[in-house]
Amino acid sequence: MRRAFLAITGLAASTTALVVLKGSPATNQVAQNLPTAQPVNPSAPGVDPTADPAAPVTDSTGEAPTASKTADAPVSPKPGKTTARPSGTRTTTKAPSAPRTTKAAQPTTRRVTGNGFENEYGYVQVQIVVSGNRIVEAVALSLPSGGESDIHSGDVRNSYDGSGGEVVKKQNANLNTVSGATETSNSYKQSLRSAIEQAF
Amino acid sequence: MTHSHTHATGRRTGTSSRHGGRSAAPVPPQIPARRGPGGRRLLGVLLLVGLLASVLPWWLGTPAGSLRSAATTVTAAGRISGLIAGYLLLVQVLMMSRLPVLERWIGGEHLARWHRDIGATLLVSVLAHMSLILVGYADLRNQSILAEVGTLLGDYEDMVSAFVATGIMMLVGFSSVRAIRRALPYELWHLLHLSSYLILLLGFGHQFAHGAQLYKPGPVRTGWIALYLLVVAALLWGRVITPLAFNLRYRLRVADVVAESTDTISIYLTGERLGRLAMLGGQHFRWRFLTRGCWWQSHPFSVSAAANGRWLRVTVKVVGTHTADLRDLEPGTRVWAEGPSGTFTAAHRLRERALLIAGGSGITPIRAMLEELPPGAALIYRARTPADVLLSRELDWLAQERDTSVWYVIGSRDDPGPRQLMSPDGLRQLVPDVARRDVYLCGPPGLVEQSVRALRRAGVPRRQIHLATFEL
Repeated sequence: MRRAFLAITGLAASTTALVVLKGSPATNQVAQNLPTAQPVNPSAPGVDPTADPAAPVTDSTGEAPTASKTADAPVSPKPGKTTARPSGTRTTTKAPSAPRTTKAAQPTTRRVTGNGFENEYGYVQVQIVVSGNRIVEAVALSLPSGGESDIHSGDVRNSYDGSGGEVVKKQNANLNTVSGATETSNSYKQSLRSAIEQAF
Repeated sequence: MTHSHTHATGRRTGTSSRHGGRSAAPVPPQIPARRGPGGRRLLGVLLLVGLLASVLPWWLGTPAGSLRSAATTVTAAGRISGLIAGYLLLVQVLMMSRLPVLERWIGGEHLARWHRDIGATLLVSVLAHMSLILVGYADLRNQSILAEVGTLLGDYEDMVSAFVATGIMMLVGFSSVRAIRRALPYELWHLLHLSSYLILLLGFGHQFAHGAQLYKPGPVRTGWIALYLLVVAALLWGRVITPLAFNLRYRLRVADVVAESTDTISIYLTGERLGRLAMLGGQHFRWRFLTRGCWWQSHPFSVSAAANGRWLRVTVKVVGTHTADLRDLEPGTRVWAEGPSGTFTAAHRLRERALLIAGGSGITPIRAMLEELPPGAALIYRARTPADVLLSRELDWLAQERDTSVWYVIGSRDDPGPRQLMSPDGLRQLVPDVARRDVYLCGPPGLVEQSVRALRRAGVPRRQIHLATFEL
């Protein structure tokens, strides 16, 4: 019985450890954010958006259209390779968007609502709050509900939404799919993408 | 549970059996080769790796930093404990599959101990899984826990059966708490335990319908289903195919029933091809005597003589209705046996010499083992009264043949003689090199506990103490 007690204590402790490890914004989260910012402005990943409007603009515009390619690559921590290649293509996209955003440089806050998307579980629509050139908050206006969907939608909301969620951390629509809620995650990303396109 | 009511032995007072009289060792018996603990350790490591692997899908599927609210954190903990519980349930059933390789590598005694420890852990993880998920979901949905129970039972597929499975598991778990179990008749307890298979069945659906890691097709789901299939295959192999093959091969029948003392009988069995039966002294079978009143129960009894190629013998103390019925067995009755199993054998010794301590009818496996131990063993036989001493003529004869010292210690536990002897000093005086011997213990729980304590204080390492534990 003593061994059973040890086993139970051990399992409880490791479950807590796992949850805590996943709960804290872990270092690999930072690693994912860093390379996306680096190509444009390697010296200052955490630059205040209002002080240096140019940097974040390219950040988000660079992301939205060519999303999957540029964001997936930097996840693997090989900055040498990724910084070299995408920066060339990015400077081209930078040109048209830069003037547009300079007029938004004064820190006004806007709410932009993305298109709604229907999936087999329900309707998904996302609104973002943009201040200057940064997304400062994301809110799911509608997510599938009822029965089990409540749980999965709750998971999605908890991962993505808010001012500390993955949307704000990543500043783009390349979010990790929430396990158990693949469809809803995808719809969320689509709606978010359309909101980002409208906003910038 | 240490050996208790199941065996007994005694001086043979009946007519001599037609199958060989009392000479149990017609040929000089060979000493079996040792079986080390290597296989057991390897399996232990494998099971731990499996545990890690079963939580891995959660770890990979959950982005770092995504557990930001209390509700998701609690839900995540509930999911982890669910994966752990699902895995442990499979391990638990596997342990009880009686797969020959498990019996051989781990051995019945260790399996029973693992089963008990894993069982307790499993029950706690299932309860943790249930309560964490309830709290987490209720919070996510902003409703009370009771309302959440309603939602789960009403809207979720397979959730009613999952709740039923949890109920059965709690029942099985609590009925196995030692104090409660002693108060229950064996048959009732056994029936309750048989219903554990329902848990496997009833708990299956909800894992795949709602498990965040399992509901969508992919390698994780496939792997989890494969685990289930593997366990079911192991059950079939260990519980159906192996016993079928064994019984078709050896075709055991009752040859004779002989009274050993007023409350103890020996059942002699014959069969075919017994010369090829690989059995070690000290092992046990689960016996099912195919008569009208007895066929539906099987009970574990040790064999009370080593393999001799001609007959098997079990010696049983009459304590319950089933054992009372055994007195009336007719010669020729068919017997269904499952085994042999157990690591309470000379093959599992770690040292050259052994000390055997038997209490009452606990002498049976030790009597069989004596034929296979290297010379120089010592036997302490505790019995309450001289009439409780069983098989003494065989023991005296073996003592001579196998160079074994035998001490009969008669009296109640509180008498000064037995008390002095069963103390660390008493044991050291009797057997000066006790710390360098394997010690085999079989007897009533009180004697076993007292002896283990005395032996540990006399300096015998834990792993050199072998207990005959063979109840499920």
